[in-house]
Amino acid sequence: MKHPLRKLLSLSLAAVTAMSMSVTAFADEPYNPYNYDTWDDAIPSQAAYRVEKTITGSEMKLEKLRDPESGVYVSDDAPLVLNDARDLSVYEENKEMWVADSKNNRILRLDLDTLEVTGCFTGVHNSSRDGFAAPQGVFVTKSASLDEEVVYIADTDNSRVVKARITNSTMLTCVQEYFKPEEALYTAQTFNPKKICVDAAENVYAVVSSVNSGSVQFSRDGNFTGFYGANRVNVTAAVIAQRIWRMIASDEQLEGMQRNVPIEYANFDIDNDGFIFTVTEVDTDTDSVKKLNPAGYNIWNNAKGNNYKFGDLTSSQYDPLTKKSHTTRLTDIDISDDNFINVMDFETGRVFQYDKECNLVCIFGTKTSTSDQRGTIANPNAVESYGNRVYILDGSKNDITIFIETQFGKYVHSAFKLYDEGRYTDAKADWDQVVKRDGSYTYAYIGLGKAALNEERYNEALDYFETAYDQEDYDKAYKYAREAWLKDHFTLIIIVVVLLIALIIVRKWMKKKGIKIFKKKKKRLVSVGTGAAGISAQNFRKEEKPADDDDDEDDEEEGE
Amino acid sequence: MYEFTQMGWLKHVIFHPVEGFEDLRWKKQGSMKIAMVIVFLLFVDMVADRQLTGFQFNTAYVKVFNVVPLLVQSVVYFFTWVIANWALCTLFDGEGTLKKICIYSAYALVPYIVCSYISIFISNFIVEEEKVWMTAIYYLGLVWSVVLMIQAMKAVHQYTFKKTIVSMIFTIVAMLLILFLAILLLSLFQQVYVFGYSIYTEIAYRIRG
Repeated sequence: MKHPLRKLLSLSLAAVTAMSMSVTAFADEPYNPYNYDTWDDAIPSQAAYRVEKTITGSEMKLEKLRDPESGVYVSDDAPLVLNDARDLSVYEENKEMWVADSKNNRILRLDLDTLEVTGCFTGVHNSSRDGFAAPQGVFVTKSASLDEEVVYIADTDNSRVVKARITNSTMLTCVQEYFKPEEALYTAQTFNPKKICVDAAENVYAVVSSVNSGSVQFSRDGNFTGFYGANRVNVTAAVIAQRIWRMIASDEQLEGMQRNVPIEYANFDIDNDGFIFTVTEVDTDTDSVKKLNPAGYNIWNNAKGNNYKFGDLTSSQYDPLTKKSHTTRLTDIDISDDNFINVMDFETGRVFQYDKECNLVCIFGTKTSTSDQRGTIANPNAVESYGNRVYILDGSKNDITIFIETQFGKYVHSAFKLYDEGRYTDAKADWDQVVKRDGSYTYAYIGLGKAALNEERYNEALDYFETAYDQEDYDKAYKYAREAWLKDHFTLIIIVVVLLIALIIVRKWMKKKGIKIFKKKKKRLVSVGTGAAGISAQNFRKEEKPADDDDDEDDEEEGE
Repeated sequence: MYEFTQMGWLKHVIFHPVEGFEDLRWKKQGSMKIAMVIVFLLFVDMVADRQLTGFQFNTAYVKVFNVVPLLVQSVVYFFTWVIANWALCTLFDGEGTLKKICIYSAYALVPYIVCSYISIFISNFIVEEEKVWMTAIYYLGLVWSVVLMIQAMKAVHQYTFKKTIVSMIFTIVAMLLILFLAILLLSLFQQVYVFGYSIYTEIAYRIRG
């Protein structure tokens, strides 16, 4: 008896294990896709990006750097992995991706499709110093004046920014160097550029650590031209309290006080139209993400009554994967070719993608969980996008994670693109597909509603806006819907109004004549004579005198 | 003079803010039943304001509907007002009885309730630009009710105008006090309950061994 029971037990146990294993083994994204609804509540959503692959040093074929035959030979002991790489830059014309491999003191050039190494640069010729020292930023663009590809490198520990042209796959030649400004306006002791950005006129903007009055701006010929786009001081209770204290404090006390300074921004990017987007680490209320015009003013200004929000909307977010609470720290920004804005949250490893009107498109990516799953990120240092892919550079796992848009992401992007161009009707098909995949995707309903509004199907538009809980657009649609309704029912309304007026006139006339139609009321009346139909003129006169107010009369009569 | 039905009296009081309540008092009129209906309508108004206001004006969080706060904001507040006023006016030499205060206060609320219903109704037919009409009606009702309430309190206690205002301000303070004490008491009882329950579980465990 014992044996068959044991067999049965072990068999069923095996079955259960097998089943539970098959449950855990299905391919899923390492992150929980979510989105925010109208009330800023986080709701689950579809994944708009999935992890395509992760690229480490061996996939980049960095061993080529040790191979004299390969053409990118550097030395026999060239490091075979990235080491705390800090920045990515994409040069689309030649399909290149540039990596600032910071601790290895080199800049790598990768092929954008295969991500294999095609160039390695450890220094710049014809410059003040040959080698790089912990370069933290790289920016590649086409120079209008030279009409060729130029590389800007924030050579952080060498306190310089270098502009260089590419001589061959292992050599850069210096075009211009940018050093610490000698002007009195520049008050910081050090000059350690971390990130750089260059506009169409080849002005160089550098984020310099411990400079909080904006990015340091250089003209093309290397002259310091000022600071650009400083953040404002975030007004908190502590700041206001200090303002008041400052008014009454003595000079000695003032010296000891901490100054309220704005927070320097962490990173920036430039879009195709020449607007510079900055991102600031702490402080998610004001200035967390800014779109600066050439004068340095923020176009997205919440002070003007708008409500632009970036990052996680709750100040502290509990992540069930890492079992920790996070506060958002936005460290990198990237503007894609289609004007989608990718904002990197260093704390959670999430990328928040916005369309050009700052509407949240999707959220993807996550930090390393305990299982260290592929596609999770330990130290997200940079985010860059090209085509339908988003690249995230990991400074501690020393790899690049590539996210590729899913079918859902494709529909969302296509819909948002058309929507932002104002082609609401064209976007309809895409929004329909989005709704099919994620029924709680708020923006799809707004898009569909606007399409319906454009096509003058007002009631449908109202339905959509109500679903999205978009009161502003609902209001607009309602205005049109009401107008249309009034137009359609104009004759009916006129008839009703005329009838009502007629009724009032007739009633007045009947009252004047003392004719009462409602017999019920007549019975309850006491002071008025019962034979109301054929009332004489004398009777009427008698009645009129005591009754000053019709209502009062009625009440009096009812009371009796 | 002034032979009205109960509803007639209500109408008289509302449209005669200066003399209405004095007349009501003089004639010893006012119905508790109507007062209770008014309080109920106030509660309904609260619910309607949340649920039936036109979509573009409705700022309520529609994911959750909890009737308890609305009940507290209407019915509980009203009776706290009545009790606080009564308690205070025994000290302030007021002549009003609890019943009278209740009736008169309820009568004074009618314009607010009616105007609020009207504004809820029209909010379904107007757009954002015309919102001013909605708010105008709402505030008309509010101001009217405040005026009536002052008159009601003045009449019910036979106060001077100044004393009425002072007593009303103190009533609001007393209301806060009452509500604070009520919350305190509630949490206290909750702790007593938790204490008793934990003793019960403790004993239950011991008995079970």
